[in-house]
Amino acid sequence: MLKVKNLSLNFGGVKALQNVSFEVREQEVLGLVGPNGAGKTTSFNVFSGNVRPTSGEVTYDGHDILKSSMHKRVKFGIGRTFQIPQPMHELTVRENLMVSQRFGRPDKKVDQQRISEILDSVNLLHKSESDAATELALTERKALEVAKALATEPSLLMLDEVLAGLETTGKKLFMETLKKIRKQFNLSMIVIEHDIETISNLCDRIVVLNFGKVIAEGTPDETFRNPEVIRSYTGEENA
Amino acid sequence: MLELTLQAIYTGLLSGGFYALVAVGLALIFGTMKVINLAHGELVLLAAYVAYATESKLGLNPLLALPIAMAVVVSAALLTYFLTNHIKKDRELNSLILTFGLGIILTNSLLMVFSANIYSTSTEWFFEGVVIGDTLFSMRSELLAFVVGVLSLGGLYWWLNHTWHGRAIRAVSSNLDAAKLMGMNPKQAEMWSWGVAGILATLAGCMLYTTSVIHPPIGHGLTIKAFIITVLAGMGSIPGVLVGAFLIAIIESLTATFFQSSLSELASMGIFLVVLIVLPSGLFGNKRIH
Repeated sequence: MLKVKNLSLNFGGVKALQNVSFEVREQEVLGLVGPNGAGKTTSFNVFSGNVRPTSGEVTYDGHDILKSSMHKRVKFGIGRTFQIPQPMHELTVRENLMVSQRFGRPDKKVDQQRISEILDSVNLLHKSESDAATELALTERKALEVAKALATEPSLLMLDEVLAGLETTGKKLFMETLKKIRKQFNLSMIVIEHDIETISNLCDRIVVLNFGKVIAEGTPDETFRNPEVIRSYTGEENA
Repeated sequence: MLELTLQAIYTGLLSGGFYALVAVGLALIFGTMKVINLAHGELVLLAAYVAYATESKLGLNPLLALPIAMAVVVSAALLTYFLTNHIKKDRELNSLILTFGLGIILTNSLLMVFSANIYSTSTEWFFEGVVIGDTLFSMRSELLAFVVGVLSLGGLYWWLNHTWHGRAIRAVSSNLDAAKLMGMNPKQAEMWSWGVAGILATLAGCMLYTTSVIHPPIGHGLTIKAFIITVLAGMGSIPGVLVGAFLIAIIESLTATFFQSSLSELASMGIFLVVLIVLPSGLFGNKRIH
């Protein structure tokens, strides 16, 4: 589905990504983990088109997406959320989704029933008509961020620390929502998340980045037992 | 005294409708692209000269110039957009220099074609008086400019809220990255906002020609007035433009009535500074296009 091959990105002298290669398979949830500054969000920025890589290839269902602009990648079926929710503040919750559907779906169709279905799946249906995005609480804004991406009918959803800032109960409930939407909308996902319990619970496979390089890849159990992964998180002496 | 005050407020309200029409195009473009089009006043003036040419050369009512003026001014606005869009670095700053230069080119082109003479409409219908409630007097053209101004802003508000292109402009104005991730092509939204700003500048130009006198150097003054109203409103706020325009115009009118007309701009500038000291983001600060 998404194939990343020898992806490198330099910001001046800083090597943000170094020959990163991995793939996301159909209907798989892939966790992208690593310490701060490892290159996780930078990878997302390359996939969604916010930044151009220095070298490498990224293909999605056979399309070389690096040649396409950001808004065109959405039409290929790639959806993304930001760590800090970025709703269109002055539009209502439903309008946010209507705009996403109208511009994000290749057929440009606005389907109110589908919007209700999406809002219901992220528990926002009761907020849909009159509430402006600015009036939502943090959990609801995060849910709207996911719903907006879903409205573009993605087959791959990239979630950038979507659980960050939520309290324990909120985190668990949100994780259940993510599991539900994965099945309901037949999604593949890439999830950036720091919480190891969450990532183990949610993901089929994990890719670990450190200093812009892939240092491990495998199932959650295999990966978090990998000495190099432990070293990258906790330091040499604990490995 | 009361009658005089009411008349001054009435005159200010009528001018405010026209000022809003001049300023709203500037606010729309700033809201979408964060570009301050310093050639906006010259685009308004370009429409006014098309109206003048239609009246003087073809002998037609200047309002019949609207379709031709619209074609000319929208083309000029889109050309300005394409040039602005080619700025690769520090667009917000460099576009100031670019549009300022384009304004100078437009002013001098108008000077070359029409000379520095002062023109006004010769169609008497526009000068005839309209009296409301036995006390409030205005020229037909002033009332027309007010109605066109308020209706245009109402129409723009409706368009921004009820059409897909309008919603796209609001989305791009609200959050560019989020809009792109919703599949929007921001260039399309930007182009639409320049086109609509061109239409609004055309209406303002035709109203300018019927209510006042025109000569090439006034374009710069129109830009400054539009800029002040846009800043006073809160950069990018459409309802704010209407309120800001009324405020400036009523203060100018009251000053001209009770003090001297030469002090009217000084008074409006004074109020502008006071508002900015108290509310640095303007009257409707942080509220984007809607």
